[in-house]
Amino acid sequence: MKSSLKTLIIAGIVSSFFSPFANATDFSEGSKAKKWGLTAEEKALFSGKVVDVLCELSGDCPDNCGDGLRHLGIVRDADGKLISVLKNSQAAFNGVTDDLLPYCNKQVDVDGVLIGNEEELNAKFFMVQRIRQDGRPKWNKTREWTKAWKKRNPDSVGKGPWFRRDKRIAKQIELEGYLGLGKVEDEKYIAENQ
Amino acid sequence: MKPHRKFAIAMFLAAPSFGPGTVAAAPTAETIEIEGEVIDTWCYLSGVMGGPESVTGTAHHTCALWCAAGGIPVGVLAEDGTIYMVLKLAGEDPLAQTDTIMEIQSDQITAKGMHYVRDGVNYLVVEQVVANDGITNRNHNDFGVVPDFAIPKKKN
Repeated sequence: MKSSLKTLIIAGIVSSFFSPFANATDFSEGSKAKKWGLTAEEKALFSGKVVDVLCELSGDCPDNCGDGLRHLGIVRDADGKLISVLKNSQAAFNGVTDDLLPYCNKQVDVDGVLIGNEEELNAKFFMVQRIRQDGRPKWNKTREWTKAWKKRNPDSVGKGPWFRRDKRIAKQIELEGYLGLGKVEDEKYIAENQ
Repeated sequence: MKPHRKFAIAMFLAAPSFGPGTVAAAPTAETIEIEGEVIDTWCYLSGVMGGPESVTGTAHHTCALWCAAGGIPVGVLAEDGTIYMVLKLAGEDPLAQTDTIMEIQSDQITAKGMHYVRDGVNYLVVEQVVANDGITNRNHNDFGVVPDFAIPKKKN
């Protein structure tokens, strides 16, 4: 083998150790997360600290991680990565802040699924399905959102899922229609498709 | 060429690109102006409702409203595919119970603000929406509405 080829092979092997994906850690051991059939989905159980993402990035740190108004993330113990958390375990378009807020700046264990194509995005994103404070035996399912929404919207009573009764959503749909193009376009679409 | 120099050149050629924040790097911060579509990051990244093109624009507008009101992070999808996770909008926190973040769902906007990158994720504190062209991605005739129950069925 020519020495230049040998050099390239060795360089390739060495560089692979530094690739951001070559040594991607498998966090699935012990996870009891449910798979949802999502893009590049991986079960993941890990420990870390719940943080206010903007505080973590910029030093702009209001009390109590923004008191429910900010996006929260988890700084993972294993590698120090700030994990962007998109979702709780509920199926009806529910975010995760209400589930993470009680653990603001605390150590936790979280179980869920990492999603997203890491080679394209240079990161994976997290859906946390259950959480417990570090060292405590009891896991809590992440399903606080609906209860918190009811507290925030005491007047939104009636039947149907929350997203049919939410006043902010109803206001936008009244203003711009379901397609966002106005009621005339909605009517045209409905006439052709329903 | 000496072997060690050859090795160094080969390493340079073979090494992957180290984007900012790939491995627990400290965040970088700079003011930027970007143009893109305001999207629902969960549906776009997770594929829960189908491919990424079907969960943008008019096809997904109602669901984008649901997810924004639901507290799922809103993003700005730039033309090069970069997604900027919005951490503030015109001085408001993203989960403030106001109409500010609702009013720009699915819109094509130009946003100016502070850009942070950490561990591969792009974050944006939007200081100002410099321009808003409204919804320009009219894709409902290609994909229908996604999900298909976004528009309630009329009762007979």
